[in-house]
Amino acid sequence: MGLVDKVELPQPIKFVFNWGRRYSLWVFNFGLACCAIEFIATSMARHDFIRLGVIPFAHGPRQADLLVVSGTLTDKMAPALKRLYDEMPEPKYVISFGSCSNCGGPYWDSYSVTKGVDQIIPVDVYVPGCPPRPEALLHGILELQKRIGSESLKQRYIDAGSRPEPIVVDA
Amino acid sequence: MDAAALTDHLVAELGDAVIPVVEHDLLTVTVAPGDWRRVAERLRTDPNLGCDYFEFLSGVDEEAEGLGVLLHVYSTGRRHHVQLRTIVPREGGSLPTVSDLWFGANWHERETAELFGIEFEGHPNPGKLLLPEEFVGYPLRKEFALLTREAKPWPGAKEPE
Repeated sequence: MGLVDKVELPQPIKFVFNWGRRYSLWVFNFGLACCAIEFIATSMARHDFIRLGVIPFAHGPRQADLLVVSGTLTDKMAPALKRLYDEMPEPKYVISFGSCSNCGGPYWDSYSVTKGVDQIIPVDVYVPGCPPRPEALLHGILELQKRIGSESLKQRYIDAGSRPEPIVVDA
Repeated sequence: MDAAALTDHLVAELGDAVIPVVEHDLLTVTVAPGDWRRVAERLRTDPNLGCDYFEFLSGVDEEAEGLGVLLHVYSTGRRHHVQLRTIVPREGGSLPTVSDLWFGANWHERETAELFGIEFEGHPNPGKLLLPEEFVGYPLRKEFALLTREAKPWPGAKEPE
């Protein structure tokens, strides 16, 4: 990485870096079902998450900072999700949007549905709902931005095992 | 042709091979697996039947009786539906393909094959359609155990019978 993962940056520098990162989240929408429509609604004029610095429709995972999994992940699709997540550059964040991607949702006993994307990739924020309203996604993004704002990249990379507990947005 | 006239025509043409029943104005023709292909060909090519439009093909787990297979076809010229049914044994059940008569049946037969474990002989491209390649078992059979439900019983109301 460079310097940021070797030394703890002085507080003012860290603040500026984190401030820059939290307000330019290029987002990669992994839309798998109806929740993707809510995601698109959140990106459009009424809710407009670009005003929060979330830039939709990154050209590909290699240009993205934030992955939003919105919809039903099946066991057959899971390797593709894992691969796209692995292609994203660090530091990267994941929002699990909707019941299906949180835990399988209404398909919890299906033979083909993965019971939550957290079985495949680490999740930072869970947004519950079936589907959640766009406001819930905005809330999840704000919570994630709060966390990024106070994050220490040194801790993130050196103590990779000590990931903070994921945030669960209240329904 | 209405369902009664269709019934008369089929019985005249095919005799004892078919058991026609009219339910909800839909003609359901039950045949033995050995007659599946012959009757399907007749539905497709007989100018009086002219079932040129494939609607769907699927399976039903009939438990002790075996696995049901049903084929719905429609005649765009004569505007009638026909349902063709048969029952194959649970183990080693197989049927001749009809995907050369109706190209639309191709994917439906693959789906029925992987979900119920019925072989369609002569299918141009057998193999899994929707399930992952490494999937073991036939998930739409009644005896297929849903692992999640083994761990946690159904939490809602009793399922409708």
